[in-house]
Amino acid sequence: MARHAGLLATVAVLAAAGLSLAWGLSAAHPLAASDLPAHQADAANGKLLFNAAGCLSCHKPGPELTGVDASLPAGGAPFKTPVGTFYPPNLTPDPETGLGKWTDAEFVNAVQRGLSPEGEHLVPAFPYTSYARMKTEDVLDIKAYLDTLAPVASPEKAADIPAPWLLRRGVGIWKHLGFDTAQWQPDAAQSPAWNRGAYLANGAGHCNECHTPRNLFMAPDWSRQFAGGPHPGGEGKVPSLRDLIGRGKYTDAADLASAFQNGEMMGYEHMSSGGMGEVQTNLSKLPEAEVQALAEYVASLK
Amino acid sequence: MKKTMAAALALAFGATLLGAGAVLAAGSADDMINARQAEMKANMKAMKLLVSVLKGETPYDAATVQGAVKIMQDARAEGEAQDVWNATSLTGATLKSEAKPEIWSDSAGFAPAWKKFDSAVASVASTTDEASFKAAFPALGGACKGCHEAFRAAE
Repeated sequence: MARHAGLLATVAVLAAAGLSLAWGLSAAHPLAASDLPAHQADAANGKLLFNAAGCLSCHKPGPELTGVDASLPAGGAPFKTPVGTFYPPNLTPDPETGLGKWTDAEFVNAVQRGLSPEGEHLVPAFPYTSYARMKTEDVLDIKAYLDTLAPVASPEKAADIPAPWLLRRGVGIWKHLGFDTAQWQPDAAQSPAWNRGAYLANGAGHCNECHTPRNLFMAPDWSRQFAGGPHPGGEGKVPSLRDLIGRGKYTDAADLASAFQNGEMMGYEHMSSGGMGEVQTNLSKLPEAEVQALAEYVASLK
Repeated sequence: MKKTMAAALALAFGATLLGAGAVLAAGSADDMINARQAEMKANMKAMKLLVSVLKGETPYDAATVQGAVKIMQDARAEGEAQDVWNATSLTGATLKSEAKPEIWSDSAGFAPAWKKFDSAVASVASTTDEASFKAAFPALGGACKGCHEAFRAAE
């Protein structure tokens, strides 16, 4: 009997230890306002990065927001994933339903740490895993750009996912495996344009989110970076970006840049399907030099 | 003698293929998919021609543009004749298809996407000089992009 009680006590202690470990591992570690760099925000640069980051693709106005300018990231359009349907929130500066009251630190924590102002883990369908590589100054510029937009009242809709609380704590644990907060570092051996392209592709552009396959832990498999893989939407495949020129997909980097700018408007096949159409629409809004830099980098992938 | 035998065999083989083709032509799912892909391939061929004129790689010539337009119109007519967007291709197909099920679940969106294409082709067809061709072309490219965004699946 005593032995039995001892066993029970051991199990209870182990379970408690496991729970507190899980609790501790899934805790949020937000940045403090004092962690942010001193920065004079540049809304024009923010607009460029807003387009490079493709914010509008997911945060576009939902179907019930009739009459709202479709170029405003008012949020509410359904975003379907295998986990469930999310309704990406309102990014316009509406004080009640948008980002009007958000501080810079709250914005950077959401975009680069995947944390809500309440300290909840955001599900990485929001690609903060890539945005973490951006310069924090660029992220602050995006906020400055968003602040210039017309406010739209668009209340947040709860995600249609099973056990959201558990999922969010689970994301906290997953972040130890699949989330690297290190910012992107340039390669001194490469040209400035290549480095700019690499920064755009790996940071704001979040190309890895679909074009790099994931391992068992749903973390990017960097040994197969940009090798393509299953479509995150659940059906079909995402093409490899490796050796696009050698494989005859494009004649050269300039041709690839033209594909980014024009897509299927100019007969570049597969530039519309699988979600790439919206990506390409966003890329077409970038200055030509940015698109060429992106193409130079992507064309160099082997 | 050997040649005659070979020819006879080839004929017999061809006849078998034709017979099999006739069975398929009854509207099997795979047949629908093949016919749709043939239509889209023809469109791509025409598109490549038009883009090369647009970029100046092929010198502008009204006849070249008309030739490309005819490829598209013929492919469209052939597709209509075979009723290739019929929902029968949804069941029993063994071929891979990139047609999204929304084509059939959202006909209110799919039909206008085709209308955009048809009217864009018609307006390119009505051009007579390089300037009007260049002005009419973006609507055609936009029709390809718009419809594929909504109704073509990932590879």
